[in-house]
Amino acid sequence: MSSSAVSIDPKTASLWARHYPGHDFIGTRTFGFWLYMLTDAMVYAALFASLVVLSHASNMIGGPTPKNFINPIYAYGETIALFASVLTYGLAMVNLKKGSRSGVTGWILLSAILGVVYLGLSITDNTHLFQQGITPQTNGFLSAFFAIVIYHALHIVVGVAWMLVMLIQIATEGFSQNVVYRLINLRLFWHFQAVIWVFVFVFVYLQGLLV
Amino acid sequence: MDPQGLIAKTSYHYFLLDVGIMLLIVVPTAALAIWAMIRYRKGGKGTYQPKWAHSWTIEAIVWGIPLITVGVLSYLSVKAIYAVNPYNPGAISQAQKKAGGDPLEVDVIATDWRWLFIYPKQHIATTNELVVPKGIPVRFRLTSTSVVNDFIIPQLVGMIDVMPGMRTKQALVSDHIGSYVGFSADYSGAGLSWMHFTTKVVSKHQFSSWVSTIQTDPQKLTLNGFNRFARPYIPVGEKSQPKFGEVQQGLFDLVVNEVMKGKTWKTPMDMTENMVAYLNNQNELQKEGYY
Amino acid sequence: MFVHLQGPWSPLLGRLSAEQLPFLHIPIIEYTFAVVVLLGLVVVGAVTYLGKWGYLWRGWLTTVDHKRIGVMYILIGLVMLLRGFADAFMIRLQQAMAVGPHSPGYMGAIHGYLTPFHIGQIFAAHGLIMVVFAATPLLVGLMNIIVPLQIGARDMAYPYLNAMGLWLTAGGAALVMASLFIGNFAHGGWYGFVPYFELSYSPGVGVDYWMWAFQLSAIGTSLGSINLIATIVKMRAPGMTWMRLPIFTWASLSTNLIALTSFPVLMVSLALLGLDRYLGTHFYTAGMGGNLMLYNDLFWIWGHPEVYFLILPAFGIMSEIIPTFSEKTLFGYATMVIASFAIGGVSWGVWLHHFFTMAAAPSVNSFYSVTTMLVGIPTGVKVFNWIFTMYRGRVRFELPMMWALLALFLLLVGGMTGMMNAFASNDYMWHNGIFVVAHFHMMVLLIAASIFGAVEYWFPKVFGFRLEQKWGKLFFWFMVLGTGFVFVPMFILGLAGMTRRLDYIPYAAWAPYMQIEMIGIALYVMALAFFLAHLYVSLRDRSKNLAEADAWGTGRSLEWMTHSPVPSYNFAITPHINTRDEWAWRKENGLTELHAGEYEPIHMPKNTGVPLVIGAFFFALAFGLTWRIWWLSLISVVLIVLMIILRSFQKDTDMTIPPEEVERTEKRAIDTLYPSSRADVPVYPGGTVGTATAYQRLSASEDVGVSSTGTLPHASVDR
Repeated sequence: MSSSAVSIDPKTASLWARHYPGHDFIGTRTFGFWLYMLTDAMVYAALFASLVVLSHASNMIGGPTPKNFINPIYAYGETIALFASVLTYGLAMVNLKKGSRSGVTGWILLSAILGVVYLGLSITDNTHLFQQGITPQTNGFLSAFFAIVIYHALHIVVGVAWMLVMLIQIATEGFSQNVVYRLINLRLFWHFQAVIWVFVFVFVYLQGLLV
Repeated sequence: MDPQGLIAKTSYHYFLLDVGIMLLIVVPTAALAIWAMIRYRKGGKGTYQPKWAHSWTIEAIVWGIPLITVGVLSYLSVKAIYAVNPYNPGAISQAQKKAGGDPLEVDVIATDWRWLFIYPKQHIATTNELVVPKGIPVRFRLTSTSVVNDFIIPQLVGMIDVMPGMRTKQALVSDHIGSYVGFSADYSGAGLSWMHFTTKVVSKHQFSSWVSTIQTDPQKLTLNGFNRFARPYIPVGEKSQPKFGEVQQGLFDLVVNEVMKGKTWKTPMDMTENMVAYLNNQNELQKEGYY
Repeated sequence: MFVHLQGPWSPLLGRLSAEQLPFLHIPIIEYTFAVVVLLGLVVVGAVTYLGKWGYLWRGWLTTVDHKRIGVMYILIGLVMLLRGFADAFMIRLQQAMAVGPHSPGYMGAIHGYLTPFHIGQIFAAHGLIMVVFAATPLLVGLMNIIVPLQIGARDMAYPYLNAMGLWLTAGGAALVMASLFIGNFAHGGWYGFVPYFELSYSPGVGVDYWMWAFQLSAIGTSLGSINLIATIVKMRAPGMTWMRLPIFTWASLSTNLIALTSFPVLMVSLALLGLDRYLGTHFYTAGMGGNLMLYNDLFWIWGHPEVYFLILPAFGIMSEIIPTFSEKTLFGYATMVIASFAIGGVSWGVWLHHFFTMAAAPSVNSFYSVTTMLVGIPTGVKVFNWIFTMYRGRVRFELPMMWALLALFLLLVGGMTGMMNAFASNDYMWHNGIFVVAHFHMMVLLIAASIFGAVEYWFPKVFGFRLEQKWGKLFFWFMVLGTGFVFVPMFILGLAGMTRRLDYIPYAAWAPYMQIEMIGIALYVMALAFFLAHLYVSLRDRSKNLAEADAWGTGRSLEWMTHSPVPSYNFAITPHINTRDEWAWRKENGLTELHAGEYEPIHMPKNTGVPLVIGAFFFALAFGLTWRIWWLSLISVVLIVLMIILRSFQKDTDMTIPPEEVERTEKRAIDTLYPSSRADVPVYPGGTVGTATAYQRLSASEDVGVSSTGTLPHASVDR
């Protein structure tokens, strides 16, 4: 640990890294995206913490308990749609390795469609609740509940929009360095949203049903 | 820092210990820094060894000293926290045994920007004035109508948050007759600077006669009256504060429930943009019985 | 959908109307507004007169160069520091005037000259500006400039993102400035109180201003932290192993890890408050199932890591300055690194000490009290290490060193009072009191001192000339005096039980202390004058103070191995790192060549105006939301998303600097310093073995120690 442990002979030491290739572009980009996802995970963590804090009986003043309004069918459908979408995106990445443009395009298109299916289910479910007068303005618990559900849905919106942009870029640029790193980051993003959905499903929907 | 109550004294005792130990560490460190600066200044006497950058002995010392200090202080801190814990202060319990009888119960409601003290057993209430008998433990229940306040009487008892829709507790025993200042320590808006109350510690005999005096006061306080009372009001330079000879039973709990169900006492826009005009307006409203 | 508001609202202008322009009817703001407009006109006029708009646009506003972005961060920080100081002056003046029940009142106030509503705004603005818009940009700017230089990188990992972070922060700062003249600012503390910041109790636009300015700054800082971490992890020069990193870089890494993990929580806490205020949800309301302690928890989960986010770079700066001016390596390098990360780690487990009095169980309070004290261990270790760095050194008292030592002593005072605050039973007595205020001012003044030290220390690196010392020393001593006069009485008052944020102090007995604090503020004002003189004289005499690459003669780390001012590409050839204090080691062995013969083309990012435009749209978005001008917000959001997507379609984002131009730049750097021959090169004081001069003109054949491959043991070359 001490500074003079490694003595380097100044006569033969290399001082300048000539023709240094610089850094690995795609690796740097994905590393940064991992860091971004850490921040997003912290946002979710804070939201889940809020949900836990606001899940006591006293936070449900003037509104129904989750047992009475949560519809597991919708949540289950959303789960299937999102996981299928992640699977198809994974297949798109397999095609990226092969270098098949048509394969990547097709599978991503399918992912985006499944994402839209997810959104459709989510929107239907929430409008039903709103129509019954179960809104974020009702009480603290419902505020937290909708905050998580809608925040997650917004991520899916962003993901679908990103997919559409990527489809255009694949068509115009082919697999350039920029496109490839964006596809990899989108994969990270999409899988991450699915992982978060697992938590939403378990801790918001299932727990709401049982408790 | 002139403690007159049991809790305040306990705090003060630990405070002195804490400061003493910290000084014991910090003063020699500062001295060492100054010595190093002077001795090893350029052209000074110190030997120059630019390569000297590590020594396990010193390493052990520099980790050891803070570790030991923090260990000792942590132990003291935990002890102190348990000694002055507002919910069940050990010191108060002992005083209770000594004094015998029942503790005095006081319900405190903080409004914008006044303190209402309700004595439920005596069914009286005072504003910005707390009167307690000497030597008898006093147990408070506190809540607020609008925003978070902090209840403190520096010479008698430490701080406790006063929160809307929630109930907190505090307790005190005072050993000397006298008059002490209490105030709100958490920012609550425009009237904060005027939100202080006097605490009078009197003998038991004086206390009971004071209670009977208040009980003859014609003013009554019901929940409706309280909702008027709780409107934003800045008590600037008031000589006499409202006193209530008759208070609705369980008013404290009713207020807590109301707030939990979402009642608010809204603050007007641009509160006290012009203080003088605001006060004139407030006086007008008071004459009309708005409060 | 939206909540019911007090006051008028129109679809076109939202809540904005002529009544909302306080500079029309409040004298203080009238004068301020006049001065600001005048200054703005002078600046615009000067730039137009000198014909510098093109240069500003090309060289600064659209730049992605980390050094220029850092300089702009520091400029934002200094401007906001001035504004925050003006706020502090007004607070002190009000409190000195409004002591005791018989103090006179002016301008609609009962005591002093400010109504509660105004002093509330000033308190909030002072706190928010000093923490988020002064200290943070100053430190982020320093990290931006220094970290890539210290690790031998050409730029940050994501130059474009770097500019985004800058313009978002600038947008937040602009929003705070706008609140001065349009509408009003939040009138509580700088951290919100719920339910006080809910719409029922703060119906105006002030809290919205506060919220969105804070939010923009939080997003900007998060982006910056991602960038800095990625830079340190991915962009190190070959041979720069982890244990060879300069200590400031370590400090930046630890501090940005804190920022990365804590700022999102702040965003959540503010966003939920926003939902409460805009949509009428019930996260923090007192009734309807809201939980007001949730806000405190969320906010301080960010809030306490945030203050360590501010202090760790300050420690890093001290750890750079003290060895340089002790002419000795840092004592206990590994310990310092461990201590930085220990502070960062503990910072996550102490937030509850901001509200010990909320009636938590004593066991909970005990836990947080002990964790808070744990911070004292690594901090204490750091102090001892600095002292032992000076021990057996040769201490030179130049300006940066003086600032660093001041910071050390402030840390002793602040640390001691911090330990007193960590004692929860004390906290029951002075929570929310002036004592706490004095304590954290000690800490932020420590940060400020190390920032001033850092500016003095690295100024020649960035601008190529040293700052003069005479006025600088006066500035230093007046700052020391001012600090003493302001904060010693504050500690005493805190023990006497005075609380924060009073616009009127009912106890006449405290008047003398207030007057002493006023003297302290006057000393600060003089210090400010000396500071301006210091800058002016330095600029005037800059040709006399030209700095070599190794501006102080005893620099130790990598940033002193390139020219001052640093060329846009930082290093003509990427250095290969062999030891921890690379530059010191090279000087010892006489390897002080700064260039290595043949130059190569250098790949650099291109300037882009996109971040500036996006920052402007973010400002418009925040402004629209503050005043509830929905169309403006909507248009801004759409445009932001469009800009981001369109930017991703740009292909020519990079450029290549040809070797001839690199050579020209290098030559110019040397010729500026030594117009004639090498004979009149000054020999440094404190030069070590061999010549201490940084430049020798060599022909390309005289390469020294150039190798194209790192074949060393322990040298990890990045992919």
